[in-house]
Amino acid sequence: MAKKLMKGCEAIGEAAIHAGCRLFFGYPITPQNEIPEYMSARLPQVGGVFVQAESEVAASNMLYGASGAGCRVFTSSSSPGISLMMEGVSYMAGAELPVVIVNIMRGGPGLGGILPSQSDYFQATKGGGHGDYRLLVLAPSTVQEAADLVIDAFDLADTYRNPVMILGDGLIGQIMEPVEFKKEIKPEDLPEKPWATTGCAGRARNIINSLYLDPEELEAHNWAIYAKYQEMAKEVRHEAFNTEGGCDVLIVAYGTVARITKTAIEMAREKGLKIGLFRPITLYPYPTEALVKAAEGAKAVLVSELSTGQMVEDVRAAIAGRKEVAFHGRVGGMVMGPDDLVEQAEKLVAVPA
Amino acid sequence: MPSVIIEKDRCKGCELCINACPEHVLAMSEEINAKGYFFPMAAHPENCTGCRYCLLVCPDVAIQVENKGKVTKRPDALTEKGFSYCPGCTHGVIHRLVAEVLDELGVRERTVGIAPVGCSVLAYEFFACDMQEASHGRAMAVATGIKRGRPDLVVFTYQGDGDLASIGMAETIHSANRGEKITVIFVNNAIYGMTGGQMAPTTLPGQVASTCPTGRDVNLAGYPIRVVELLKELKTPAYLARVTVDDPKHVLAAKKAIRQAFKYQLEGTCFSLIEVLSTCPIGWGMQPHEACGWLEENMVPYYPLGEVKVPEPAVVKAGS
Ligand SMILES: Cc1ncc(C[n+]2csc(CCOP(=O)(O)OP(=O)(O)O)c2C)c(N)n1
Repeated sequence: MAKKLMKGCEAIGEAAIHAGCRLFFGYPITPQNEIPEYMSARLPQVGGVFVQAESEVAASNMLYGASGAGCRVFTSSSSPGISLMMEGVSYMAGAELPVVIVNIMRGGPGLGGILPSQSDYFQATKGGGHGDYRLLVLAPSTVQEAADLVIDAFDLADTYRNPVMILGDGLIGQIMEPVEFKKEIKPEDLPEKPWATTGCAGRARNIINSLYLDPEELEAHNWAIYAKYQEMAKEVRHEAFNTEGGCDVLIVAYGTVARITKTAIEMAREKGLKIGLFRPITLYPYPTEALVKAAEGAKAVLVSELSTGQMVEDVRAAIAGRKEVAFHGRVGGMVMGPDDLVEQAEKLVAVPA
Repeated sequence: MPSVIIEKDRCKGCELCINACPEHVLAMSEEINAKGYFFPMAAHPENCTGCRYCLLVCPDVAIQVENKGKVTKRPDALTEKGFSYCPGCTHGVIHRLVAEVLDELGVRERTVGIAPVGCSVLAYEFFACDMQEASHGRAMAVATGIKRGRPDLVVFTYQGDGDLASIGMAETIHSANRGEKITVIFVNNAIYGMTGGQMAPTTLPGQVASTCPTGRDVNLAGYPIRVVELLKELKTPAYLARVTVDDPKHVLAAKKAIRQAFKYQLEGTCFSLIEVLSTCPIGWGMQPHEACGWLEENMVPYYPLGEVKVPEPAVVKAGS
């Protein structure tokens, strides 16, 4: 298939259709409105259904119903909307329902702003709603990768019967890049979901539920879903760039900041400073082992995020004191330039006078 | 000769059947059943006319009636499990009506029901069809997801007044207004039963509840919400009716409305909602038969019974 120039948000929508998804429930919010707009036009063309929900709370519960009925279903929103969806997300994690949720993050807290941010890392990777659960979280840094990850997200959600979140930011959503879709799945070719509520003809009835009044049963259920999260560890993905043979400073960054880091790497090269990039693609499960290996060959480690420091906690936990882990963040929709990263890196390796 | 068959271990001793029997056939036993309740027996079986009033009001589906060689039976759309409701609570009557309708329309095996959060949170254990358990207030959003994804399924929600008219009001109005092709069974018992009797959006003026200990003050809490009248103002919803189950005749009328609501769904007509006035003897602090009387005297005047909106008749094409 030929490559097509597409906006990140539109590529995300088209990728969902290529994944065999024919249902979208969502509520408008900047900076991701192009996703519901795209879906409202595209889904009817392929026999799908788009519903503009009355709120993100409702949208997340529509996902619950549709996923429970065995359908591939997805939604997208941005930070304040994702907070409202957390009700449905917690129930879907509890009831083990596969769905794909896109969060095009914007600055917070509260209404915050509409510009790019990575300040929902904690919410995405530590559960987000109430209860002891995790989402599988994927962080694209290009439009092509966003499209690929959305398609994979549907398969991962089905494999683990768990919600999967695509964590992007306004930049990934708005940027235009060439993209091609690696596969096209027809909804009718998707395997049956024998647990779904599709009518009980010829089988015992199915129940979609997250209520366990017996504490022993609820404990067993919690450990069972925990075991799934352990199993997910094999899905870890990362990119290590310019780290072969070691580096002066290893920058750990994801999404947009990883793109900026690649420019910083070029700028630093001219100055004789070798910066390496470690870019987690799965934020949960976190590619801890690979990070530790990459950090071994680095003189210093710098985490950079569009937050006051969230992923840095996972990096510090991984490095476990073996190395100093420095942090550089911008927030509120402000984005660091590559020169900032070079400057931060230089400071870390400067020989004290 | 007609006769009453009592499955004594299903009985919770509410005595509603004894009150309903016009021929004084039934009287309470002196022994107790496996649950520890006294239960009814046919003290004067010779008086039985087979009217089924006892069966109609029994909230635990503990009574069947034999008449002219035919025996009524527990609906297939109910599991064998005994209801978890308090003695005399009419949730059980409403469950039976919904189940009978699913059986009669032959749709149990392609139906998905949605249980709410409230006393009927365990409804998924009682209806013998595929079920989903929704979060508090979101049953209609869940139903929307199911029906939009699988329009071939018959989808119904079963919700209390706190669930549907307080926390879930946005979902209620918008599901109705989008014209979701679902059937909503709305159980209005004027109180939050499950959490111990707090004020509901439907609690009557002056009615005492645990969060309005001196009675609902309309200056502070406003007047109770009449859900079907509120929804009637929307152009989209097709069928809105209010019924009750406090006596045998009302039970029959309630079943008719519930059946009609499901039939509309099968015909592809949009949104239907049946509001069922229901009792909460424990929450109201009354004996079950007193609760029925209180409902009749206090709820029915504020919440008038009847069809509030029916689908507009299909336009007959000229020449057809
Ligand atoms: C988000 C949320 N808020 C509050 C509750 C607690 N809660 C459980 S049931 C209920 C009230 C249900 O009342 P109603 O819908 O009238 O049904 P009933 O129990 O009377 O049948 C409440 C407030 C909850 N489970 N979830």
